[in-house]
Amino acid sequence: MSIIEKLNAIKSSVPHYWPIGSFIHHNPLKGFEDMHFKDGLAHAKSIFGGKVYMDSSYFMGLYKEGKIDIQKIESNLQYFLDTNKLEIDLDLAKHFLMEVSPQWNELRIQFFHKQEEIDTDLYTHLEKNSIFSDDKAWLQKLIKHMTLYEINDALFGGDAKDTIEKNIIEFVSRFLDEDQTTFSMPNRELGMFEAFKLYENFTYEKDVASFVEEALKTLQVKDVEAYFLTHLLKLHGWAGFIKYRSEDSDYARQQEHPSSLLEYMAVRLYAEVQAVKKKKLRDFSMFEAHAKNKLSDVILQLLKHKNILSGSALDALEANEETSSILKGHIKSELTLDALQIQHASDVLKCERSLTDLAIIIEKLKEEEGYIWLKALEDSYIKEYVDKFTTYEVEEEKQPLATATFCLDVRSEIIRKSIENTGAYTTYGAGGFLGIPIAFVEFDKAHEEFLAPAIIKPKNVVFEIPKESSEAYRAKKGITKTTKKVLSDLKNNPYTPFITVEAIGWLFGINLFGKTFLPQRTNKLFAKMKAQKPKTTYTLDKLSDEKIEFYVHKLHTKMIARYLDTHLDEEFSKEDIDQVWRYLVFKDPLMLDISTKMIEKLSIEYQITPKDYDFQKNKLAMVGFTLEEKVHYLKKYLTMIGQVDNFPEFVTIIGHGSVSDNNPFESALDCGACGGSISLPNTRALCMIANMKVVREKLKDEAGITIPDNTKFLPGMHITTTDIISFYDTDILSDEELKRFSQVAKDFNEASFASRGKRAKLLPYTNTDKDVMIKSMDWSEPRPEWGLANNMGVFVGPRSSSQHLDMENRYFMHSYDSRIDNEEAAILTGIFNGPLVVGEWINLEHYFSTVDNHIYGAGSKVYHNIVAKVGVFSGNYSDLKIGLPTQSVYLEGKAYHEPVRLLTFIEAPLAKVLKAVEHSLAQPFVLNEWIRPIVIDKEAKKVYSYEYGAFIVIKELDI
Amino acid sequence: MSAIIVLLLAGGVPYYLLLEKFTPLKSKHIFLLSGLLLLGAVVSSLYIPSGHTTSIVVIALISAIFSIYRATKTTNFYKLGYYLVFVNAPFFLLFEDQGAEYSLSLLLSLIGVFLTAQFYEKNYGSANYHHITGITLATPCIGTYLAFYLIALALYPPFPNSIFFLSYIFESEPSVLWYIVVSTIFFGNFLLAMRVMRKTLFGRENPTIHYVHMTVKEKIIHSIVIVLLLTLSVLGLKEMLL
Repeated sequence: MSIIEKLNAIKSSVPHYWPIGSFIHHNPLKGFEDMHFKDGLAHAKSIFGGKVYMDSSYFMGLYKEGKIDIQKIESNLQYFLDTNKLEIDLDLAKHFLMEVSPQWNELRIQFFHKQEEIDTDLYTHLEKNSIFSDDKAWLQKLIKHMTLYEINDALFGGDAKDTIEKNIIEFVSRFLDEDQTTFSMPNRELGMFEAFKLYENFTYEKDVASFVEEALKTLQVKDVEAYFLTHLLKLHGWAGFIKYRSEDSDYARQQEHPSSLLEYMAVRLYAEVQAVKKKKLRDFSMFEAHAKNKLSDVILQLLKHKNILSGSALDALEANEETSSILKGHIKSELTLDALQIQHASDVLKCERSLTDLAIIIEKLKEEEGYIWLKALEDSYIKEYVDKFTTYEVEEEKQPLATATFCLDVRSEIIRKSIENTGAYTTYGAGGFLGIPIAFVEFDKAHEEFLAPAIIKPKNVVFEIPKESSEAYRAKKGITKTTKKVLSDLKNNPYTPFITVEAIGWLFGINLFGKTFLPQRTNKLFAKMKAQKPKTTYTLDKLSDEKIEFYVHKLHTKMIARYLDTHLDEEFSKEDIDQVWRYLVFKDPLMLDISTKMIEKLSIEYQITPKDYDFQKNKLAMVGFTLEEKVHYLKKYLTMIGQVDNFPEFVTIIGHGSVSDNNPFESALDCGACGGSISLPNTRALCMIANMKVVREKLKDEAGITIPDNTKFLPGMHITTTDIISFYDTDILSDEELKRFSQVAKDFNEASFASRGKRAKLLPYTNTDKDVMIKSMDWSEPRPEWGLANNMGVFVGPRSSSQHLDMENRYFMHSYDSRIDNEEAAILTGIFNGPLVVGEWINLEHYFSTVDNHIYGAGSKVYHNIVAKVGVFSGNYSDLKIGLPTQSVYLEGKAYHEPVRLLTFIEAPLAKVLKAVEHSLAQPFVLNEWIRPIVIDKEAKKVYSYEYGAFIVIKELDI
Repeated sequence: MSAIIVLLLAGGVPYYLLLEKFTPLKSKHIFLLSGLLLLGAVVSSLYIPSGHTTSIVVIALISAIFSIYRATKTTNFYKLGYYLVFVNAPFFLLFEDQGAEYSLSLLLSLIGVFLTAQFYEKNYGSANYHHITGITLATPCIGTYLAFYLIALALYPPFPNSIFFLSYIFESEPSVLWYIVVSTIFFGNFLLAMRVMRKTLFGRENPTIHYVHMTVKEKIIHSIVIVLLLTLSVLGLKEMLL
């Protein structure tokens, strides 16, 4: 295996990291999804350490609140006992799980200073089965995931680790910087390793793979793969980001400043080799020899380093007592405590079994208890919601005044219900990108955003262009831009900050005091000062070949003209420029007297080449949609949500986004199905397509879906922080239609107010409507909204099955009518491929950020600083924080988010669900139970749950 | 002769080196003994007018520097406690009778450290704090009390140690020895207190430890120590201002 292959073999263990600007919720253990959930978590625990389930005491709290059904605990325990062939009484196991386990650590430690008699058999059993009996295995366990410099630190003192990690973070953050700093690192275009060589001022002629190989040889590393993993785990956030960049060929910054995990590894190994040169142990062979001679001492120092050495042993070490006797004392003390723990547990359980037997049972129960509790909690919710989704009275369908489609996001649930309560409105749910993935170029912006789930690469580019004069906007924007630039220059120039603060520092006080004491008024004031975007429209039609040719020609010739103008005194005619272009792109003869050097520059630096010509043409060919594509996307959307007839006069499609202040994680509150951006462009594009006469005609011919002429599709935008809904493109309505639509807007406004009232009860320190509104502009607010926290499940089915329920924004809700779907379940497969994948990522990101925020989350927002414009770190240097901040999932030290796997309720015949699973990208995580699928099959009158590798009937329906 | 007795009582020579080798005596006992001897020095300084020669102060200073070094090698509260007595001895000797109030403040802060050490010993098996990390979040009560004692020892206001320290500095005439003693004591105390803070007050909680909260009785005792420290602060402030 080559070095690269060895690195590739372990890189799936590194969590993916997306830049914070377009925050993508993701499963940090995505690389483990080919294993069963339980096995994957056990494997992750062995790599990352930390917790993968909540503690027993947490689950006991939920049990006491009535959220966990005792029968579900019993059935899961019984299954565990049966499969493990443990011949013990269910009551004993239950007793252990519910009474002993929550106080397990206390039982071990709280009595340790008391002298108690220890059962000899139990002690011998524990001794025989402990790792202490095998010194070598113990040593290997202790140095697992330790680098050589850490081992040196642990054995001989020192802080090489701090210095090395700090230096690496400094280099990596500067190399990966995306315009946060004003003093960029030079030579980044050479690539990470080449730039590092210049940064550290050393030369190395061969390639990076050879460098890594030589460094590993110098350190005498035996298990290279394990050592790579050890290094990557030191800063797994940064490693995850480098991995993401290197795997995304479209990531512009990666093209500008290439980096790879191998180069990152070279940087790390260089630092290690340099550091250990001055240390006592310069390679692993030396460590092995040292460990062989002074095994007790080495183990004791490692235990001390890991903070697992008892106080008395530490005292003995300080007093320079003999290390072998200290170690013996430590082992004895540990085994005594283990034995006492079992003895105390036996007392609590009033167990008559031998203590050795009990120890074996407890060991197995402790291994499984997290999963048993989790599954019991999920099963309890499944039972509750299966009853709720299948017990309701069917109301007669009325012709709605308007329909509204929201994103399936959990935050749409309360607002949808509020809208339905205000009048004759029908609501639908769909993935925020509406099945129409687009690369969107916003008006006045130069870059494109992918508005689709992160796994889908859009094939259609949409430009936002003004449909009225934009001069006023540009003028105001120009002033703002210039002011910002001047202020930024004054701030960042080495000589001017002091004068700037003295002269105009007070101006910033307006913002500071205004936002603190009068947030609403200050917000209004600054909003007025902002340039108002003119009315815009989208480029939805394909460009003709002639136009594409024209635009590419124009782009290239403009660049050539500008270059020649600035570098030569002569004047060139259009024909001359065209001749140069033809020479560069088509290799036509060049009759002009232009130096070869200049031609080379145009070709290399300005990229005017046949390759770029093709690239630009292909790019422009992606602009807009063909008629077939338009019809395809509209049909896909309508059939996906089941809105194929009975169209009202107004069909609204409402995207969503979030507004908050001083919040680096703002994008995490936007639409997950749109790659962490707002979903308004998708809704506007789809509405524009749906309003096209030619599209409707073709849709009618091809799919038999008739949209009446008087039906108007109108896009809207739901701000999830304030629940305000605004509508766009209403200028397509006549005065009469506008009058009728104003009633709809009024009702939606009322619904917003009602929704805020309900949400105020869920948000902390929020009582009134005003409190909810202020959260979106308060710069000290750590929770502008709860976002997707406390998400629990997804319901895929008709709205009639969930309309009667209050689900407190805990469910993703996707409309789906299985009757419309074909035998191959194409629609359901589409839902599985996009929204379900995103739902699983969101759910598991919240799960892991809650169970161990230190490892899988981002820690407290209070200490966060933005780094390199790609993420946050704690304080002035740390690993790049993955996952969610504590404040997003915890409230006052207690978990607000209830970590459960996504309870996926699908109202459809089982056969169709099986087809969808078979055909979809979701197959691995469905079959490996990273979500909990529940099928409500009304045709078969059965409800199935996917458990232990099969769909089992959990309820017979009486309908 | 009286100077040598005071030198011994105040901890001017590192007699703990002998006591540490005497097995029946544990660090807890050495702490108590050195504390009591210092108290004896404080009391005696009120009755016996004394003037200490430069050589006595220099001996105490060498002992202090050595004790700072020893203190950086321990993570046991008892040991740290008596090392701090020796670290501060030159101050007592340099400022003669004025050093008594400072030493009294030091003793009071060390009583707090002693009580904390007892708490650790009772609940975690030893007064060693190396592995008892992050108590500010895990057990905020003992964390807060310990923070007060360490702030006092680190010579931060409003605790009396800093007030008396500052007061004597302002009142006395500086000399080369003065500069050395003042800077040694100031940085010695500060760095040693910060070292403990970093290790046991802050950082992540240790998952292998079962953290124990204080009882009401313990809280009352610690509160009394804090009240006494603050009372001394008021007295010190009065002395400084009047």
